[in-house]
Amino acid sequence: MTAVMREPVSLPTRQRPRPPLAGAARSAASVIPGAARTAGPDIPGAAGVSLRDLLDPPRTPGRVIAAFPAALYLEMRTAAEPRVLAVVCSDAVRLPNSVVIAAGSRDRPLRSIHEGEEAWAGDGLVEVGALRVRVRRWWDPSPTLGPVALARLTHGVRELEAALADARFGLAGHPDPHLLAGRCADGDLAGAVEAAERIVGLGPGLTPSGDDVLAALLVALRALGGSVQHGRTALWLADWLGAAVTADAETRTTTLAATLLHCAADGQASAEVIAVLRGIAGLEPLAPALRRLLAAGHTSGADLAFGLLAGCRAVLTLSLTALKGHRASA
Amino acid sequence: MNGRLGGLLGREPRVVAVGAPALAEALEQQAVAVQPVDWRPPPAEAVDALNAVLGDPRHATANATAVGRMLAARPRLVDVRPAGEVLGLEPGLFLHAGPPLEWDRASGPMRGALIGAMLLEGLAASPEEAERSLAAGTARLDSCHHHAAVGPMAGVVSPSMWMFVIEDTENGAARRSYCSLNEGLGKVLRYGAYGPEVIERLRWMGAVLGPVLRDAVRRHGPVDLTAITAQALQMGDELHNRNRAATSLLVRELAGDIVLAGAPPDRLAEVLRFVHGNDHFYLNLAMAAAKVSADAARGVPGSSLVVAMARNGTDFGIQVSGTGDRWFTGPAGTPDGLYLGSYGPADANPDIGDSTIMETAGLGGFAMAAAPAIVRFVGGEVPDALAATRRMREITLAEHPVFQVPILSFRGTPTGVDVTRVVRTGILPVINTGMAGRVAGTGQVGAGLVEPPAQVFTAALHALATQAR
Amino acid sequence: MNSWVEVRSGAYRDSVTLMRVSRTLAERDGVTAAMVAMATELNLDLLTQQGFAVPAGAGPNDLVVAIRGVGEAAVDGARRALDGLLAEVPAPAAPGIAETEPPRTAGAAARRLGEPGGLALVSVPGRYAFVEAMDALTAGLNVMVFSDNVPLHQEVALKEAAGRRGLIVMGPDCGTAVIGGVGLGFANAVRPGPVSLVAASGTGAQQMMCLLDTAGVGVRHVLGVGGRDLSAEVSGRSTLAALAALDADPATELIAVVTKPPAPRVADLVHSAARRLDTPVRFAMLGEDSADLTASTEEVLTTLGRAAPRWPSWPADRRTARPRPGALRGLFAGGTLCAEAALVARRVLGPAFGSGGHRLIDFGDDGYTRGRAHPLIDPTLRLERLAAEAADPACAVLLLDVVLGYGAEPDPAALLAPAVESALERRDDLRIVVSLCGTPADPQDRDRQAAALRAAGADVFVSNAAAARYAAGLARNGGGR
Repeated sequence: MTAVMREPVSLPTRQRPRPPLAGAARSAASVIPGAARTAGPDIPGAAGVSLRDLLDPPRTPGRVIAAFPAALYLEMRTAAEPRVLAVVCSDAVRLPNSVVIAAGSRDRPLRSIHEGEEAWAGDGLVEVGALRVRVRRWWDPSPTLGPVALARLTHGVRELEAALADARFGLAGHPDPHLLAGRCADGDLAGAVEAAERIVGLGPGLTPSGDDVLAALLVALRALGGSVQHGRTALWLADWLGAAVTADAETRTTTLAATLLHCAADGQASAEVIAVLRGIAGLEPLAPALRRLLAAGHTSGADLAFGLLAGCRAVLTLSLTALKGHRASA
Repeated sequence: MNGRLGGLLGREPRVVAVGAPALAEALEQQAVAVQPVDWRPPPAEAVDALNAVLGDPRHATANATAVGRMLAARPRLVDVRPAGEVLGLEPGLFLHAGPPLEWDRASGPMRGALIGAMLLEGLAASPEEAERSLAAGTARLDSCHHHAAVGPMAGVVSPSMWMFVIEDTENGAARRSYCSLNEGLGKVLRYGAYGPEVIERLRWMGAVLGPVLRDAVRRHGPVDLTAITAQALQMGDELHNRNRAATSLLVRELAGDIVLAGAPPDRLAEVLRFVHGNDHFYLNLAMAAAKVSADAARGVPGSSLVVAMARNGTDFGIQVSGTGDRWFTGPAGTPDGLYLGSYGPADANPDIGDSTIMETAGLGGFAMAAAPAIVRFVGGEVPDALAATRRMREITLAEHPVFQVPILSFRGTPTGVDVTRVVRTGILPVINTGMAGRVAGTGQVGAGLVEPPAQVFTAALHALATQAR
Repeated sequence: MNSWVEVRSGAYRDSVTLMRVSRTLAERDGVTAAMVAMATELNLDLLTQQGFAVPAGAGPNDLVVAIRGVGEAAVDGARRALDGLLAEVPAPAAPGIAETEPPRTAGAAARRLGEPGGLALVSVPGRYAFVEAMDALTAGLNVMVFSDNVPLHQEVALKEAAGRRGLIVMGPDCGTAVIGGVGLGFANAVRPGPVSLVAASGTGAQQMMCLLDTAGVGVRHVLGVGGRDLSAEVSGRSTLAALAALDADPATELIAVVTKPPAPRVADLVHSAARRLDTPVRFAMLGEDSADLTASTEEVLTTLGRAAPRWPSWPADRRTARPRPGALRGLFAGGTLCAEAALVARRVLGPAFGSGGHRLIDFGDDGYTRGRAHPLIDPTLRLERLAAEAADPACAVLLLDVVLGYGAEPDPAALLAPAVESALERRDDLRIVVSLCGTPADPQDRDRQAAALRAAGADVFVSNAAAARYAAGLARNGGGR
């Protein structure tokens, strides 16, 4: 291999004055559009692949529905989900519909943007006020867990239970989340849908607690259902439960929560939720991942963790039941 | 989790970039948050030694072991007794602060304190006689650190002085350390004063203060100094130049037993008034506690952890865990700070005292952020204090699990100076200190900040390198 | 008892704020109930149950405010307080309390990341690299050592230390890596996909990932290991660690190892380790008798059940006079691309390759980079040589590589295209062939670069082997085939 760096050489700076061009090359040589503007305002961003349908086509208009120091939420004028796109700082919770920028919230890169401002998304670009974020990279918000043994899942469920013992849930004392969890574990789709519909949009804030529980539940059912033996019932449940709660989510909860439910039905989750699922699958240490999740939002992290636990328990119970049936019939 | 590279492949990489900025820029172009390093080359002559020490397969675990012991120590005050008894000091042997020293090289305050000790022990009738006798070599001198002891400023210990006895049982067999009782401010022996009032006070401390404290501590049982220090940090002490909260907490803790110690009420009142008049009373306990913690970290082969920093008024010396009892010394600097009354820089003696054991154990200057009340006293503003504590994270191995600083979100004080990090970064330990007058008998002339000479760390690094595997 | 219900449109607030506001209002004197929440159906139900009259038309994106209190004054006071409470913005950390000074060592920086398992990218001059890399490993980070000039024994020591901690050292002299879609060093913007590479060769890895991207198959990770990893002394320590790690990565479906032929004993070690994995492994070893990188990529595609595409090429826009046979001169920035071109040219030209004045130069080689930056960053030296070769009447074909991607020159065609054009203006019998290693998503945009180069008169190929084959054919046959 050849040497890539010699010492003590300082690397040249990015903007190098170009010599004047001659002849036919003049028209074609400067091939970077807007290259003259290398110090221009385009900020690089990394987008979740769930946003491809929004960012690849030509620009569509929208508006800022919420502006926080670490995140902007834009609602785009489009008929299909995802309708809400988040622009987030690198230290913010990374929702599956996020375009992440490298700056941290301490640098306040979003400070000039206000609620209600016009926004545009498309052609690989998000534009709000003076902010122009160019998508440079795509990331996949669906967890890939590989095969997960039931023993591993049992262990993960126990760790999750222990960690959530003192967590503060947004829907503490409310019976329906528990009802939903129980019915999922029973494989009772109709009952689960009924319980789920009672918590869509329940709770204050941008992403009501009920929607957080549901989103995490759906993602756990899909990711783990596809990774354990005899996970077919869990996948079936994820399909139909997802279809049911997304059907009229637009009218029943906030636009952001509706988009996140759609993402969850497709198996997409925030990076913090994915890390916990990876921890349960034994792909990374679970405890720090859980700590990061529980630190997210006010009760949002705890609500998501509750949904994950419900999903994990359901997958475990359904697989064990199927395994028994399989053995009995063998 | 084996073979999984700590989870590297499962999520977006979190990147530390050290070196060419173009590579960090390429990451920022991809919307990746990068933690940049403000890297500067270490001194050319240290490169081979750094490679050898960091390349020693024992180095990382040795450092973890050593600092682990320092952090695990739970020093307790278990007794108060005369130095002659607990240290086996014979008449004619005097302990002093800092690395070993001879009379010829001793500074003014060190000479003054030795003269005072001669007078206290009755080995001379007058200061002149004491000085002649010391110059003639009749007394033996040795470093406090060689006797598990520490002393503030001149740190002179003679057989009839009473000592706090500190014990730690968290690191294997019980380990003890010792420090004399604090005399208060003004004209005092530790600053080199030896006038009649100094000797008289020392006699009173031996006759009244020592026995009362002994009886009180024995009645009370072991006093948990870690708890007092931790609380005091949250009350604005940094435990070197400010010990007001810790002193108060100690008195509260012992008050009942002092009353019941059995001495006549006027004597008890003297004791309580004496402690009340001396905001630094706890310093000597904190020093002995730091000493026993640092001693627990000694003798781990391959470790580059500093286990002692000490000044004798002439030399600044350090000892390192991996190099045994060897001292690495350089000339003591002169502190930079504020002066009392009409004193000025010309009146200040070079840096002196074992109290840098506080910084060795992660307190004092390292805990400056906890003590905004005194930042101006050492010539700074509040942001400087926060910056100082943060800067010390660059050269230390750990954050103390118990000693927390509220304004830094309760993060622990930076603890355990690593010789290799000091040499790599050129960042020297920040030390809070008092200033002694240059002339014997003057006393304290000010307080401020001081830095150790950089060469002591380089010398220690080279010693570690020669024994690296 | 007085009540007040109000709906505010499009006033989103996060749940922390809303719950805090609700509580603060409820604690006011005279207020018996207060709720500030998004007007979802269920929240409206709750209000109804509490006896509030819910206005029609409130939707889930609206904020609903409901206050009940004893007397009008209490409710009015709460209403007035509400605006202030909603307007409160969390204060940023006061200056002086926020961390301001950057860390000074890799270890200190690692501790600020707050969790292990990240990556330290070390590019300090080689003599200082060991200390920073070891420090990062001790702090629990994996390390990519971009620097060269790191002694062999230090490389072994670093890789042993990494092995003890379950981490990996990529390098030293590792120019290219991709972790989860993020390019480190010189790397191309490739789509995410199922193939991961283990690469002892930087530009070799870039060639393969660009071809995979072109074929519509994405790349998951590229773990560089450094050019010496498969030597007898280093014994493939990082290659083995990379294989194990990629095998444990559920999203990697196939692993390709890109390297020059390893030391024989090490080759056995690596092959037997590869056989033990659950994930299939393909070797792309660039030796005398082995397949070129394009052929190896095609084998990977076949294994995945994908057909190899026609590799894109862009023939020159303008043809000058009929070319004549003559010497092939290659001017390369990528070492592996140069080596591959030499192998291909030898196969085309036969024994004549050694004699006929043919010459391939790697400008990334030590002799050319001392005291200056790599040609991937600084093209000056190569452009000077291009003019000199074009002026040599013996030279019939010039073969150049252009490597795009992060870390590389921002717009290589801006300088190269005019140079090509002016060389061809002076020599109408000269042909210039460009091997263009890049993807359409690269910051330089491969297709625009190709368009500029073809417009200037060069024949452009995405496959380096194809470019070399074409150039060598021209050198042998001239215009007649």
